[in-house]
Amino acid sequence: MLNSARGRTEQTSSSAPSYRRRPHSWRRAIRRQLLPFLLLLPALVLVGLVLGYPIGQVVATSFQQLGVFQLLSHQTVWNGLSNYTALFSSSQFLDVLEQTLLFVVATVGLTLLIGTGVALLMGRLGKFLRTVVSVAMLLAWAMPNTAASIVWTWLFETEYGVVNYMLVTLGLQGFNNHDWFASSLSAYGVITAMIVWQAVPFVALTLYAALTMVPRELFEAAAVDGASPWTIFRRVSFPIVRPIFVLLTVLSIIWDSNVFNQVWFLTSGRAEVINVVPLGVWQYIEAFSSQQYGLGAAVAVITVLLLLIVTGYYIRIMVRTGEVRA
Amino acid sequence: MTATVVGSRTARQRRLTWLWRAVALVFVVFTLFPVYWMVNSSFEPNGQITSLTPSFFPVHFTFHNFVDATERPYFLVDLRNSMIVVLSTVVLVLIVAFLAATAVTRFRLRGAKAFLVLVLVVQMVPTTALVIPLFLILEKAKLLNSFQGLILTYVALTLPFTIWVLRGFVRGVPVDLEEAALVDGCTRVGAFRRILLPLVLPGLISTGVFSFITAWNDFLYADVIMQQQGHWTLPVWLFGFETNTLTDYGGLMASCTLFALPVVVFFLIVQRRLVSGLTAGAIKG
Repeated sequence: MLNSARGRTEQTSSSAPSYRRRPHSWRRAIRRQLLPFLLLLPALVLVGLVLGYPIGQVVATSFQQLGVFQLLSHQTVWNGLSNYTALFSSSQFLDVLEQTLLFVVATVGLTLLIGTGVALLMGRLGKFLRTVVSVAMLLAWAMPNTAASIVWTWLFETEYGVVNYMLVTLGLQGFNNHDWFASSLSAYGVITAMIVWQAVPFVALTLYAALTMVPRELFEAAAVDGASPWTIFRRVSFPIVRPIFVLLTVLSIIWDSNVFNQVWFLTSGRAEVINVVPLGVWQYIEAFSSQQYGLGAAVAVITVLLLLIVTGYYIRIMVRTGEVRA
Repeated sequence: MTATVVGSRTARQRRLTWLWRAVALVFVVFTLFPVYWMVNSSFEPNGQITSLTPSFFPVHFTFHNFVDATERPYFLVDLRNSMIVVLSTVVLVLIVAFLAATAVTRFRLRGAKAFLVLVLVVQMVPTTALVIPLFLILEKAKLLNSFQGLILTYVALTLPFTIWVLRGFVRGVPVDLEEAALVDGCTRVGAFRRILLPLVLPGLISTGVFSFITAWNDFLYADVIMQQQGHWTLPVWLFGFETNTLTDYGGLMASCTLFALPVVVFFLIVQRRLVSGLTAGAIKG
């Protein structure tokens, strides 16, 4: 920390106006060194203590055998890589990975597709309809996900749910008393729909706002040159909003990979029974229901490593394009 | 010749305009329906809710569900708890994140890039995984079952993303403005307070909303850290309600409406700033 503080002042003083380099102002110089460090200190302490230390604990725990007995007796039993080998040799783990992959591809793909579509649509609407669309999206977005999940269980309720009622009214008799949470696939369908419903507003509103910053002349010039709307999107709009698009993609992948609340509330805690176990939920089940905290920790470590592999490429793009810039 | 081309083009455009309007309306209906259905059910008497033909308007309008929900044990206590925890979290997180964002952007920090990538990586850790180690730490610090413990947890959990977004806003304010203030005899602290702070206000608002929602929403940590019923927050209360009374959908929808209301009102008030704020953060990344 001290090193970086020193490096920073050197650079600051070289770029600073000369009046700051008066002699005998070393007191000030020290203060200038200290200030940014002090500003960062609370954040560093908090993140270090409340996130950093637990994360370290999780990594350590993943190499331990930690059950209720060890937890209560404060024993540390190191068992090397056996949590990891146990995971990779269990058939459920591969199933969980496959579920998570499909689930994340579906939610992120649909969210970005619909979000981009709505952002482009908003640009083609009049002021009134555009406001209606944004307010509708704000309402969906603002719903706390715990409350939203309870509302969606009510929508898809077997006997009195309005979705079944409407489908039956439309002539689909098969949906009379249909249990949406009876099979893994259909439960995933409802969960995906709900997550996309709440995730689209963030993507659409952000992209729309970004698109409005694209200079109008660019579109007009392209239109005069006879470019089709698709070409205009591909060659003009998209390249300009690409940094934001990449950021939204990375954030969506990270958020959707660790979804917990929605799955837990929508399945009313029966996630494992109907085999709806994306990584975030499986991690919780392994740790708490099975009370094998070591195994749960190993799942968490693997999740982060997988996410790093998937998003690493984009993070590098973000660093290179100057998106990660202080 | 040219006239007909122009004519057909405008006719096509007009048809397209109507198509876009129709698509927008369909989208609005799908987006609003769950929210509408929650409010609709919350105003219906229970007999009407559990009938095989649901009504799309609250024909037998009643406030009974709301009265019922708020009179349930611990609703008001847990509402107060939620308020205390969430508001303290927002205030603390904004102060800490703003200071950190300023430190990272306004001073040439060698480790800044690494710090920011680290902030993004911390986001990837499943929050469920941190429950047990955090529980053990708070137990050691004697902060279990206390507001302080929960507030600290929420501040730390929302801090990374808040710093990440706020940094974009802080960078959006031209350094020249601050330097001009310095030349005019302002102190560094004075420039910070008079120039930077007012200009990044939209950013503070949008990140404030973000941390408000995260903390207001959280079920997992509140459930583990607050073990006595008098210390619960609303999501924990809500989950208890859901699992204890399976058929009282009217009461459940009324509580969900009450639970969502502050966030929705908050969102609608700040909506314009929120969206412009998000892009400012995103564009300048």
